[in-house]
Amino acid sequence: MKNLRLKFLILLAAVGLSAGARAAETVKVGVLHSLSGTMAISETSLKDVLLFTFDEVNKAGGIQVGGSKYMIEPVVVDPASNWPLFAEKARQLLEKDKVSVVFGCWTSVSRKSVLPVFEQLNGLLFYPVQYEGEELSKNIFYTAEAVNQQAVPAVDYMLAEGKKKFYLLGSDYVYPRTTNKILKQYLRSKGIPESDLVEIYTPFGHTDYQTIVAAIKQFSAGGKACVISTLNGDTNVPFFKEFANAGLTSENCPVVSFSISEDEFRGLPAKDLVGHLGCWTYFMSIKTPENAKFVGDFMGWLKDPKVTGVDYKVSGVDPKGRVTCSPMNLSRMGVYLWKQAVEKAGSFEVDKVRTALIGQKFKGPAGEVTMQENHHLVNNVFIGETLASGQFKIIKSFTGVAGEPFSSKFLK
Amino acid sequence: MLFSRRQRYSRPWTWHWLIAAACCLGAPLCRGADAVPAAAPDTATVDARARARLAEAIVADELDLQLQVLRELGGSGADPLIGQTLTAWRGGAVYLFETNGTRTPVLLDTQTDSEGRARAIRVADGALLAGGDGQGLLFTANDLTSADASSKLRRAIKTALDLFGVANPNPKMRRDAVVKLGQEQNADYLPHLEARLKIETEAEVHRALQEAIAVTRLLSDDAATREAAIVELGALRSITSLVFLKQLLTQAEGDAAKYGPATIKALRRSVWEIENYLWWGNLFGTAFRGLSLSAVLLVAAIGLAITFGLMGVINMAHGEIIMVGAYTAYVTQNLFASWFGKGGLGIELYFLAALAVSFVVAGAVGLVLERGVIRFLYRRPLESLLATWGVSLVLQQLFRHIFGAANVQVTSPSWLSGSLVIHDVLLAYNRIFVIAFAFAIVAGTYLLLTRTSLGLQIRAVMQNRAMASALGVRTDRVNMLTFALGSGLAGMAGACLSQIGNVGPSLGQNYIVDCFMVVVLGGVGNLVGTVSAALGVGVTDQILQPWLGAVLGKIVVLGAIILFLQWRPAGLFATRSRNLEG
Amino acid sequence: MTEMISSPAISRREALVIALLALIGLVVLPCLNAFVPSTSPLHVSNFAITVYGKYLCYAVLAIGVNLLWGYTGLLSLGQALFFSLGGYALGMHLMLKIGKLGQYQSDLPDFMVFLEFPKRFPETGGLPPHWIPFHSFWFSAAAVIWVPALLALVFGWLAFRSRIKGVYFSILSQALTYAATLLFFRNDFTFGGNNGLTDFKFILGADINAPSTKRWLYIASGVLLLAVYLGCRWLTSTKFGLIQRAIRDSENRVLFSGYATGRFKLFVFVVSAVICGLGGALYVPQVGIINPSEMAPDKSLEAVVWCAVGGRGSMLGPVVGAIAVNAMKSYATHAFPEQWLYLLGGMFILVTLFMPGGIVGVPAQWRAARARWTRKGEAAGDKGTAPAVLESATKEP
Repeated sequence: MKNLRLKFLILLAAVGLSAGARAAETVKVGVLHSLSGTMAISETSLKDVLLFTFDEVNKAGGIQVGGSKYMIEPVVVDPASNWPLFAEKARQLLEKDKVSVVFGCWTSVSRKSVLPVFEQLNGLLFYPVQYEGEELSKNIFYTAEAVNQQAVPAVDYMLAEGKKKFYLLGSDYVYPRTTNKILKQYLRSKGIPESDLVEIYTPFGHTDYQTIVAAIKQFSAGGKACVISTLNGDTNVPFFKEFANAGLTSENCPVVSFSISEDEFRGLPAKDLVGHLGCWTYFMSIKTPENAKFVGDFMGWLKDPKVTGVDYKVSGVDPKGRVTCSPMNLSRMGVYLWKQAVEKAGSFEVDKVRTALIGQKFKGPAGEVTMQENHHLVNNVFIGETLASGQFKIIKSFTGVAGEPFSSKFLK
Repeated sequence: MLFSRRQRYSRPWTWHWLIAAACCLGAPLCRGADAVPAAAPDTATVDARARARLAEAIVADELDLQLQVLRELGGSGADPLIGQTLTAWRGGAVYLFETNGTRTPVLLDTQTDSEGRARAIRVADGALLAGGDGQGLLFTANDLTSADASSKLRRAIKTALDLFGVANPNPKMRRDAVVKLGQEQNADYLPHLEARLKIETEAEVHRALQEAIAVTRLLSDDAATREAAIVELGALRSITSLVFLKQLLTQAEGDAAKYGPATIKALRRSVWEIENYLWWGNLFGTAFRGLSLSAVLLVAAIGLAITFGLMGVINMAHGEIIMVGAYTAYVTQNLFASWFGKGGLGIELYFLAALAVSFVVAGAVGLVLERGVIRFLYRRPLESLLATWGVSLVLQQLFRHIFGAANVQVTSPSWLSGSLVIHDVLLAYNRIFVIAFAFAIVAGTYLLLTRTSLGLQIRAVMQNRAMASALGVRTDRVNMLTFALGSGLAGMAGACLSQIGNVGPSLGQNYIVDCFMVVVLGGVGNLVGTVSAALGVGVTDQILQPWLGAVLGKIVVLGAIILFLQWRPAGLFATRSRNLEG
Repeated sequence: MTEMISSPAISRREALVIALLALIGLVVLPCLNAFVPSTSPLHVSNFAITVYGKYLCYAVLAIGVNLLWGYTGLLSLGQALFFSLGGYALGMHLMLKIGKLGQYQSDLPDFMVFLEFPKRFPETGGLPPHWIPFHSFWFSAAAVIWVPALLALVFGWLAFRSRIKGVYFSILSQALTYAATLLFFRNDFTFGGNNGLTDFKFILGADINAPSTKRWLYIASGVLLLAVYLGCRWLTSTKFGLIQRAIRDSENRVLFSGYATGRFKLFVFVVSAVICGLGGALYVPQVGIINPSEMAPDKSLEAVVWCAVGGRGSMLGPVVGAIAVNAMKSYATHAFPEQWLYLLGGMFILVTLFMPGGIVGVPAQWRAARARWTRKGEAAGDKGTAPAVLESATKEP
């Protein structure tokens, strides 16, 4: 259906051009997020927010390049949580559709899979999800939180709260293992002995946290313990249910989760998470005019059933149940940073845009961000406590934290 | 929020009085200024004086004075406003209202108007701050400066708050407060704790007080007191104190001259006693956890034991039928919430209804599936793999479109939250429920298959379709009912699993591999086999996990399955048959 | 379809079709890619070549699955494991050939630098000892064959020795691949964990991303597919193939006739593993990544589904199925990103219900239907053309 509309648009544009009239020109932009398979759970929201942002930009007059206006024309594909398919779709977007920029990827492995394609074809990718770092490609801009913008501030906060024992729990893949490796090194440097650091992993889709919770219960029996969780979205539900049932609470053993944002919260048992902590560069509860506009406009946009492809009125899902979260905000800011850079460069050419992107500033919902030379953002970091409403109450903020992908540079 | 936070400790039969407790308690331990009521101004003169002192301390710049006031407040009991003020102070939410050079500490109400402004409550007397015209003044947090609290001060505030907790009317909260104070090992608390111990009636809190006092006394310089504490902790089998005992043991062994052999001996004995106790606790805990995981596997697999085991349909959509059941539970929950309100009865009872409804809904889905697809494939069982795989893809995407790609929230009723604690072994209520449910469902299925005429027909058709048909059994109808039964059981499993795991479009994928493994390992077509296989896999997994971790544990279990099938190539309970190819 | 299975030699018509397809696939398409300017409508894009190359590797995997399933009656749900092992074997070589072009400009692959392998394996400078021989291309190429073969040999020997059959064999192979997936996910296992092996730069000295390299890889995949096809076709037309099919149809009778069926099955299993491994080895340089999710249980199932869609039991069916399903997936994920699963799932259901012989069975089905039409009244119902494989799953004799 979307495709038909798209073809129709192209046709219209072609007719318009041949008639000699100067109709609004379009620029193609790729959206590379899984809409099916295991990662659809997280990535679908990012597709939504990207389409919303494109509409927002288009309504505000599109992108001004060389005196003419360009409207963004999204090309949405579904790489289906399949990593080789990610590479194939990336190649298709760049070679076939000739998109100027791609917004996409969630998991690190999907980014690793498309990276050679972007480097070979000199494409441009904006990556919006917190990740383990240790990578820097000239063709990728990481609006995502680096480890020093999320994990390290959160651990600092726990140390300041007087926590002495750390239970590092994660899903068994690269992001948790890498983050925990960095954190362990960091905590050791802060004088936490090896015996008070426990590192445990569970497989993807693990549903049985009885043993681990029993172990945490004993681990925290002596007090001053906390859990640093890098469990990925799906496994948080069984974990937190088990955790709460064991009588563990945020008071006697707080859990800091790096993968739970407001969006994940929608599927979590709210009462079991009250008081546990999250650390992101954006929370929906942030009170700024920019955020009020972002949240308000996005909710309004969601109510228009045609654009999302899902008719919420039929399905009975209330668009009010939708939220904004850090990866969504970072996706949106990516679009604006790119737009500004294109306008500054006066061209869609990747090399020019890349140069123009460095030093680009944008006043986003959570304050101003700056794109650094290392393709990461200077951003504000917040620590929030979860409320039963699924929102975070901000209890601490760090301003202007410069993202640094390589741990060797921030671990001394 | 308050209610739910306490609820987590609750036993199912105590939830109703907890509501009452929550209502009358006030919120001394509640963090943040999010529960500030308009306080009653003149409860007692004692409170009034304490409040005035506190207000004085907040504006004072001297740390010593502030600490002094906090110490005074420590034992003063629970005036809600003081509790809230302290909490707010610690979180930077006490604000200073400045007029004519005087500074008045205030709290902001949680209720805000459309512009985010709130009324201000004076700390000194709990009255609302009013302007010259007598109208209440409105502020946002940004209009006012907040009263600073250094980290040292914050810790002192926390101590004061913790001491409040010892007087908390709710025994659970009281116990938590006591445990925390014990962990501080601060001798200043001893008088408070001892005083409380004399009047404490609640057994659990009493024990916590004993532990806390003993743990604090471990640091005593008096050898006799110290040894008595050590012995007492050992006798109490106090797990919380193990860390402190071990710490002390290391110290004492390093400095034997100071501590003396008697202390060291007592320490070793107590540590041994507690570790021994823990070992037994872990043993029973592992047994329970193994049983519970087995029950989960069994509940998930029993539907498949029928559709695949008995009927021979390689039902790749089994996981998605479980998912249908889970989503049915979600919808039922929402319907109950809209009929009976969000709290109370609706949430308490929806789950029982959900079990029944999900059986019906999933059974209906199974019925449609059988009529539409499966019935054409009884002669070609392998193709059923392909068709049901297609069905599973379609169902996943369908649910993604209807309910959104994200997981949905299923709330457990309070009688399934929390856990039963027997000698420090946690038996979570939802786990106990799943075990009981597994028993019920297996017994029910067994009786249905062996004691009813439908069961007889089912077995006849499954053993020899042609013969059964010749004898007048309506095989078509029996097939249909059997498949619907299997699907219905899978649906109930979904409702059940919604209480322990997540509910989302990929829910089924998490269980499908394990389900097939359990059914096959037990011996296809044998219910007893399925039960034994579930037990075997579940218990082995839980025994291995503490040693090897979840990932390696799982790998070893899979390896064990491979080796096991070498020994029993047709599963645990192979169906014996004279048929050559059977 | 039944005729196709039992006819031992390659018929003239089949030979003609194969030759024609090979000509188009191996000569015409690459030429159109290399020599026709990209503005011409006849031009085949680089993108198309890489995607087709991927399909061809999948087709090789499908043949491997089918040799076991369609011809020997062994439904293995673990063939993607052998495919991935082949891929890992070559991937390791490609990782070592990146040289200093990685993020850390080190001789070691990036993940080894970051995971501090130099501390773990100080005596080799950080490279785990079992990685060292993979510096050699020919060693790696050999490993593509012997690693899957060895695993298949051990696993198959265990399984067939104790006469594990039918669905038990299927679940056993699934357990194996699942365990391997979990193992490879671990960073400690020295194969890059979840991120796997990626960001290759050179193969045999050539830039791996250059269009010409991609073209040669595509041609190599085509040649491999042709060779595997002809090889399997030959194997199944010999006496060995006859026994193979006899085992499928009634293993016990073959056993009682004095054949050690276990050895036959073991041989076929090893051959199939090697075929899958070869397919995987060519797959990896073309898609540019190999990670543990390629050996996850559902990937093997997917390969089984391709066979069923194309039509198992014939040698061409799996090839057609693999290419058709994947081409459709490529098309639909772009054209209908939100609805394509309905399309794919619906297709599986419809194929099963209405095309029991798969896509390649359609002509036979059509002929049968026409014959029924002409001989109305005596039309026999659809007895099903699928061989009974999971005997134990069906309770019927």
